[in-house]
Amino acid sequence: MSSFRKALKSRQKNHHERSQPGFRNKLGLLEKKKDYKLRADDYRKKQNTLAALRKKAMEKNPDEFYYKMISSKLEDGVHTRKKANEEVEVTEEQKKVMRTQDMKYVEMKRVAEAKKIERLKGELHLLDADSKQKNTHTFFVDSKKEVEVFDLATHLNTAPELVGRVYNRPTLETLETKSIQGAVEPQAVQKLARQRAHQYKILSQRIDREKKMFVISQKIQTRMDLQDKMKKVKVKKETPNAAAIYKFETKRKC
Amino acid sequence: MRPGFSPRGDRGGRGGGRGGFRGGFGDRGGRGGRGGGFRSSEGGGFRGRGGGRGTPRGRGGRGGGRGFGGGKKVLIEPHRHEGVFICRGKEDALVTKNMVMGESVYGEKRISVEEGETKIEYRAWNPFRSKLAAAILGGIDKIHIKPGAKVMYLGAASGTTVSHVSDIVGPEGLVYAVEFSHRSGRDLLNVAKKRTNIIPIIEDARHPHKYRMLVGMVDVVFADVAQPDQTRIVALNAHNFLKNGGHFVISIKANCIDSTAAPEAVFASEVKKMSAENMKPQEQLTLEPYERDHAVVVGIYRPPPKQKK
Repeated sequence: MSSFRKALKSRQKNHHERSQPGFRNKLGLLEKKKDYKLRADDYRKKQNTLAALRKKAMEKNPDEFYYKMISSKLEDGVHTRKKANEEVEVTEEQKKVMRTQDMKYVEMKRVAEAKKIERLKGELHLLDADSKQKNTHTFFVDSKKEVEVFDLATHLNTAPELVGRVYNRPTLETLETKSIQGAVEPQAVQKLARQRAHQYKILSQRIDREKKMFVISQKIQTRMDLQDKMKKVKVKKETPNAAAIYKFETKRKC
Repeated sequence: MRPGFSPRGDRGGRGGGRGGFRGGFGDRGGRGGRGGGFRSSEGGGFRGRGGGRGTPRGRGGRGGGRGFGGGKKVLIEPHRHEGVFICRGKEDALVTKNMVMGESVYGEKRISVEEGETKIEYRAWNPFRSKLAAAILGGIDKIHIKPGAKVMYLGAASGTTVSHVSDIVGPEGLVYAVEFSHRSGRDLLNVAKKRTNIIPIIEDARHPHKYRMLVGMVDVVFADVAQPDQTRIVALNAHNFLKNGGHFVISIKANCIDSTAAPEAVFASEVKKMSAENMKPQEQLTLEPYERDHAVVVGIYRPPPKQKK
């Protein structure tokens, strides 16, 4: 008999909750017992709270005094504690100091950047930059006739194909007698050109960064100036690239 | 002096030697050959990448180091103007051959290049600080400052450009550097201590008679004085010291002459003034992108009469 009972148990299946039938799939997952439990508990808790609050409100004595009545106030529709007069977190003076510290830091970083730019400019002379600002070169000659027959390459005594290479237009003698030293293999030249392009990129990035930091320090400075209790009028709005401009009333120092 | 600038060359040399040795074993023959080539003239003779890929075995192979590395890391191209070069490596720079090896005058970069046994050092010449360098990169035809020339330099300031001019004229040439301000004159004196071809003169260039005993005839007058009457100053000095048929190179800052007029008008009026002083301008060049509203005028003083054909 007992073996029979055991056999029965082994055939027994775990109880599984049914899932959403296929034709109702569009309604989403079917709620299970554990989901229901969570929902129900939450609901009960809320109901209980509401009931408790209702009861409290019913039993409230409207004439009773609470200290919160005088130590709090509404701030944008929210009850907040009033601060005692002397407990300001940051005094005006501290704010001022903090701003100067900020500014000093930014200024220090800016100066460091400017120095690096200066150093890079010392070795990167924009020799054949495309977007270079064009200069004007004037030759003075004696007569109109000379103007008519003027030829730049012959005047400069250089090869015609070198005329556009403004930074160095070797004379014909130089081309004949002197030679280029150093890395002349095409591979090396290419590699150097790549490195040079990279250096120029770094330079332009640094220049951008320096400009940005200049704007930041200007903005901090303006904010600092505004803390003065002097009369001022805003002349120009603040933009991402420039601080606001104020005009201050002139005042004799003494 | 930066530590280890010149010794590095030695180290490179050692690396080269080792490269040759390794070549002797037969493996990596090419590499060894290259190291060996360092000693012979064939390799171009630049400071050593000798060890090549042998870097882990010591510092011998690392030729470069800070800044302008030597070795095959740069390409030195002779410039139109004698004594001036263009360096194209990781850098993109106008350079002059350094007369005082291993010394920077105002913190500029130096490049050294080994050619056979001799080591040549070049100094970067910043066109953002020197009008003459800006003019050279702007493509001026002639600067007339060349090896062996005697140059009078008015408005020498701290002697930064003067040092490059002294590089160009070399030991045979001479530079009379005139500066009025004592403060920058002090720096100028320090530059002149190291360079024997500079004669510093701390005097007002408006009174050339005060230094007439120091100065002989010169071939070129260069002026960067930024004074409203600068043409008169240059003319005074030219009358006193410049040889007939000598040349002048004047840098004009439009703002310093007349800040209200248009720069072109200022340049034109200056050129006119020069012609009145027997100084015949030959070319004029503005200095963008290095300077704004600046021009350099080059001309000839008392030109010889034209021969009729």
